[in-house]
Amino acid sequence: MPKSFLAPNALVGVFLLLFTLAIAIAGPWLAPYNPQAFDALNRLQGPSMTHLLGTDQFGRDLLSRILNGAPTTVLFGVFATLLGVSIGAVIGVVAGVAGGWVDNAIMRILDGLLAVPELLFTLLIVTVLGGGMGQAMLAVAVAFAPGMARISRSAVLSVRTRDYVRAAVARGESGIYIVVREVLPNALGPIIVESTIRVSFAIMIGATLGFLGLGAQPPSTEWGLMVAEARQFMFRNPWCVAIPGMFIAMSALGFNLFGDALRDSLDPRRSH
Amino acid sequence: MSATHVNSHPAREKAVVFNATAPRLSIRNYSLAYATSNGPVKALNNINLEIAPGETHGLVGESGSGKSSMAWSIMRYLPSNAIEKHGAIRLAGQELLEMSPRQMIDIRGQRISMVFQDPSTSLNPTMRIGEQISEVLMAHRGLTKAEARAEAEAALARTGITRPKEMLDRYPHEASGGEKQRVVIATAFACEPELIIFDEPTTALDILTARQILDLFNRLREETHVSALYISHDLGLVSRIADKVSVLHHGDLVEHGPVNEVFNNPQDSYTKRLISAVPHPDRWLGVAKPETSAPLLSLDKVSVRYSPLTFKEKVLKAKPDEDQIFWGAKDVSLSVRPGELLGIVGESGSGKSTIAKALTGLNDFTGAVKFGDISVKGRKEISRDYRRKVQIVFQHPDASLNPRQTIGTILSRPLHLYDVVPAAEIKNRVRELLELVRLPAEYADRLPHQLSGGEKQRVAIARAFAAEPELVICDEVTAALDVSVQASVTELLVNLQKDTGTACIFITHDLNLIRQIAHRIAVMQHGRLVDLFDREDAQAEDRNPYTRALLDAVPVQVSLGVYETEQNDE
Amino acid sequence: MTIGYLFRRLLSILLVLVIVTFAVFAITAVLPGNAAIMILGEYATPDAVAALEKQLHLDLPWYMQYLSWVSGVIHGDFGMSLRLSLPVSDVVGEAFVNSAVLAGTALVLVTIIAIPLGAIAAVSRGKVMDLLLAVFSYMGSALPEFVTATLLLVVFAAPKTGVFPAGGFTAPWVSIPDFLAHVVLPAVTLGLVLMAHISRQVRSEMSEVLSSDFIRAARLKGLNEKRVIWRHALPNSLAPAVAVISLDIGYLLGGIIVVEEIFAWPGLGRLLIYALENRDLPVIQAVTLLLATVYALSNFLSDVIIAILDPRVRYA
Repeated sequence: MPKSFLAPNALVGVFLLLFTLAIAIAGPWLAPYNPQAFDALNRLQGPSMTHLLGTDQFGRDLLSRILNGAPTTVLFGVFATLLGVSIGAVIGVVAGVAGGWVDNAIMRILDGLLAVPELLFTLLIVTVLGGGMGQAMLAVAVAFAPGMARISRSAVLSVRTRDYVRAAVARGESGIYIVVREVLPNALGPIIVESTIRVSFAIMIGATLGFLGLGAQPPSTEWGLMVAEARQFMFRNPWCVAIPGMFIAMSALGFNLFGDALRDSLDPRRSH
Repeated sequence: MSATHVNSHPAREKAVVFNATAPRLSIRNYSLAYATSNGPVKALNNINLEIAPGETHGLVGESGSGKSSMAWSIMRYLPSNAIEKHGAIRLAGQELLEMSPRQMIDIRGQRISMVFQDPSTSLNPTMRIGEQISEVLMAHRGLTKAEARAEAEAALARTGITRPKEMLDRYPHEASGGEKQRVVIATAFACEPELIIFDEPTTALDILTARQILDLFNRLREETHVSALYISHDLGLVSRIADKVSVLHHGDLVEHGPVNEVFNNPQDSYTKRLISAVPHPDRWLGVAKPETSAPLLSLDKVSVRYSPLTFKEKVLKAKPDEDQIFWGAKDVSLSVRPGELLGIVGESGSGKSTIAKALTGLNDFTGAVKFGDISVKGRKEISRDYRRKVQIVFQHPDASLNPRQTIGTILSRPLHLYDVVPAAEIKNRVRELLELVRLPAEYADRLPHQLSGGEKQRVAIARAFAAEPELVICDEVTAALDVSVQASVTELLVNLQKDTGTACIFITHDLNLIRQIAHRIAVMQHGRLVDLFDREDAQAEDRNPYTRALLDAVPVQVSLGVYETEQNDE
Repeated sequence: MTIGYLFRRLLSILLVLVIVTFAVFAITAVLPGNAAIMILGEYATPDAVAALEKQLHLDLPWYMQYLSWVSGVIHGDFGMSLRLSLPVSDVVGEAFVNSAVLAGTALVLVTIIAIPLGAIAAVSRGKVMDLLLAVFSYMGSALPEFVTATLLLVVFAAPKTGVFPAGGFTAPWVSIPDFLAHVVLPAVTLGLVLMAHISRQVRSEMSEVLSSDFIRAARLKGLNEKRVIWRHALPNSLAPAVAVISLDIGYLLGGIIVVEEIFAWPGLGRLLIYALENRDLPVIQAVTLLLATVYALSNFLSDVIIAILDPRVRYA
């Protein structure tokens, strides 16, 4: 394990990330109660031995709902990012490798798209596609693509002028060999780092869409939606807004810290 | 406010009066280590060094020798993980190790000052030059803003800057490299310090500029009688300017004494090796002169244009406006004979690397290149056959090997690409190639970062020779290496040339080095070929004045000997 | 920096905005639902719908619709709101002012807090202050606005014990204390992520500068630490800080959408959500274009500020 992963913030990041991924994969099977089971007598309870994190406005067990909602919330971020990164990386690599007018045209269009704030862009696309998780995921992916394209392009450009790429060009290697074997493996680092950090944004945007009623729909246990549904009761039981909020923050933090640790481990200036 | 005024400064007088007979700087049994996660790493070991008033002391060493640590120790500017085991560093008898940080602030810039390697990074980019000089005068001599400015102007004038007043109001990026280094020197001399530490002050500069800075150093030294610690990796240079010299090797001071003694009669084996490695124009290392004069490669009016085509030229086909165009190289005509080594020399920006890039299809060009029976008139016409025959080696070995490929993969690539050997024999050939450049066979499984700089450059050379080329272009291949490594890489290259009969274009800024190995030397300036001569004619009366100036800038005054030493690099 | 450079920069902003109009138009053109039916209700006669479509130019091909919309925009005419029966420019104009007040307050808050915070952390690298800032900035950047807002409401705006109102708006020119009471929670929510991000960026820029050769040179000239930091290091970290802030303005403009919705702040964000819910195309188009313009212009402004701060850019 590289030394940079032993820094305290990296350790916290790795721990949070593993925890988040664990509940995102196994959460629904770990839930002690049926996340949708009403219990009229135990509404808006604080944490107790029977309900470790308390209950919501219908007496549903918060822990079970959190665990059940983990895949929806976290995997949403992961897949939306993967999709956005794939679209963006392809565009960016094409622009960076092609150069000339192709690069110019792509960059101008990207500039235009990047001038629209990400959340606004996402909202516009969600409105076009209609509410729902799939649509929201696609919207986040499309909104991420221009930013990722720009980062991929600059990663490719910075590698393209390295001497080992020049050596390959001078040798008469084919364009495909140069891109696949010489440029991409070395440009991948910054793209992976940025993607990891982006997952945290995607999780937050996904939850925000759920909160605004444009993403996950009831009776989903998506964490943003949970906050929205419990808002009316937040003064009677702050736990039912605070807990899903904290889980969102925690998973975002995990990806964030891990991404930073990854960046440090790739940065030659900090590796020794 | 004049220069003489400075001498009456009270703090200075006090310092001199304090102990007039003691050496300016004396270092006694000084040891330094750095704490790392793998335990302490020793940087300096039991160093003893003395600098008398007015003496220039050369401190010579290769990278990692501890010569920079020496400077930081004297300046008391050590990182927090530094461990000073024992010893003393005294300035005019005063113990610096016992000084408080507060006291050191008063000593730095006033009693000891420093000139750094790269003037473009050691000046604050967002502050006018005038303020950067006068802030020192205000901090240490309590001058007012106006007085400091006047004094700064005078200081600049002493360094030979023609319009000092204008220079005061410029930002660093508006000055040339030489001007910036003069500013740094003016700042260092501003408070008339007792000791100045020069840390490779000419390494980042061009040949002619470096020469001017050295002349300036010599003049100021005579005018001020300052003591100087001159740190350098360049033995030839130190031999010209220092009174005494100390040689550092892995933190040990292996030899010291008067310059002439150390250079003419070195005692330590490392010093001997170092001296042997210094390029000397009269010591021929190259291969025998080719017999045929029929060219292998010939360039006819090759030009490389860096400014893009303007709208007018592209669309309206208008005649280009010659004054507006920036040429990387213009109308370069020369030839290389089979088995010959042609040197191309020039300062940075002279177009010497541009020619290398044009010849290897990295830059588009106009004009004609004839290689054997292949004739090309632009980048697009370059065929794979040509590329196989003409190989290139780059300056920075760190950058020219893909960090994610093993040495084996890197070396097998040209074999595979040009079908040099059948696929089944590639592994064997990689081993032979490693042997050819004197590297162990197991290096095939290593990644570039596990190799030293010199080893990486050997791999890059092996990759070029893997293609069994007829011409290898070496673009400053020794510039990024230490002196001793440089010598062994040069020797390797010459041996390979001997064994394979490959012709070579060797691009460099080092005139002494090129005169050891090149049969003919081409001189470039501002993108044009200004001179081309046989090695023997280097000192001829009718040499081009620019060539003359370049040669004069790097004389070898002390005749450096060759000592029988074990050749092992790294 | 020359006038020519500024001019080229303005031209490129114009180009960006043209592309934005295309993108906005393309997205809104494929929005489901017929605007004419929306206005007239589902029981309108086909004739009436056709007449209104003609009036709204919906019968024209898309590029004609685009051109007529763009020519309207150039003349300051964004059409009529489909739902509010008011000129879009009136509706948007008022909301824009309200949003600007909120975003401006948040931005001032962020700038005066985040830059010194980052600088202090860089100077005290590895010490307690640095650690505290790291914790703050990581937490801040992991909390989405709706969570921050909700938590702030729970703590500071509970029905009886609350210090601040839970929502609403009073213009500063009506009553400054009232305005301040209303603006605190939304501005803090909006600013938290940015403060976290900007202070961290300033810290890393500043640490980079502090480890550069010229800072070492300044120290070795015998300057005191105060001068090294305030006169040498800080001015060199400001230009990158401005660049970071200008990029973050995009994030701020996204953030106001959520924050205004939660705190019932009558600005562009709230208007946009309303328009999206009601498919009020002209309003959506106008708000999007406006936000993009503000973002592009703020980037331009930051270029100018950077040029003033950094002489290398100024003369390049």
